[in-house]
Amino acid sequence: MPSPKPKARTYALRTKRLALSAILAAMAMIFSYIEALIPLPVPIPGIKLGLANLVIVIAIYRLGFKYAFIINCVRILITGLLFTGLFGAIYSFAGGVLSIVVMYLLYRTGLFSMVGVSMAGGVFHNLGQLLVACLIMSNFKLMSYFAVLLFSGLISGILIGIVAAVLYDKLPHLNV
Amino acid sequence: MIKKADIVLFLVILITGLAVSVVSLGDSAEGDNVVVTVDNEVYGIYPLSEDRVIEVRQQGHTNNITIKDGVVSMTYSDCANQVCVNTRPIAKTNDSIVCLPNRVIVEITSDEGGEVDVITG
Ligand SMILES: [Zn+2]
Repeated sequence: MPSPKPKARTYALRTKRLALSAILAAMAMIFSYIEALIPLPVPIPGIKLGLANLVIVIAIYRLGFKYAFIINCVRILITGLLFTGLFGAIYSFAGGVLSIVVMYLLYRTGLFSMVGVSMAGGVFHNLGQLLVACLIMSNFKLMSYFAVLLFSGLISGILIGIVAAVLYDKLPHLNV
Repeated sequence: MIKKADIVLFLVILITGLAVSVVSLGDSAEGDNVVVTVDNEVYGIYPLSEDRVIEVRQQGHTNNITIKDGVVSMTYSDCANQVCVNTRPIAKTNDSIVCLPNRVIVEITSDEGGEVDVITG
């Protein structure tokens, strides 16, 4: 192979990757915005269905941990600045980081389908937020909400995983 | 689309979560604050989580209330009947120890009441 060719390919790949990251980050923000518009009947701020998780799951599979993590952080930061405020951002950050780490680890084992990965993500997303709520309010009895959050995390995680799996197959398989 | 490991994970999360919930619901009656009332006026509010001895001195009467390991007891009273000192230690919300002669009431209250507005941390 001539030497300039692989270099050009690398740049093209990187550009594609950046473009896809930007699109996914924008989508995640839109989902976060939709969620901010629909408050759930849970007395803890920041507990959401985790629609943005749909994007993060796809990002993990498509772009790997680093990109997915950055997309998630960008989403949380900008959503926090625009819609949910600093307090909401702290909750989102705890939930987002915990869920993305868990999802990536499960993904790496290769044992789980997208639905399983997303399901764990949904649960740990809520768990992370609940832990922060417990710390901020120094009230560990909030853990009694755990059952509600567990079920909502499981169900939303499974639904989002199914949607993510369908979307993932439908998305054009660009070589990124 | 769904693998066997997914189902195992689902069950593991479900069972762990339910276990944690059952445990935390089981002691959800645990109180947060110790409210000491003298003559129907609040003398002081203390966190149940911090060990301490509260000496209540009023009108020549003395009561010692001890908070230790999340349990409250009346460890000393100069009252005649000593009913308060013989009362079982309390730890649950709405439990109380009453010293009628000295008009001292020790109650346990909860931070929870629908709204979570008590930020102590
Ligand atoms: Zn007494």
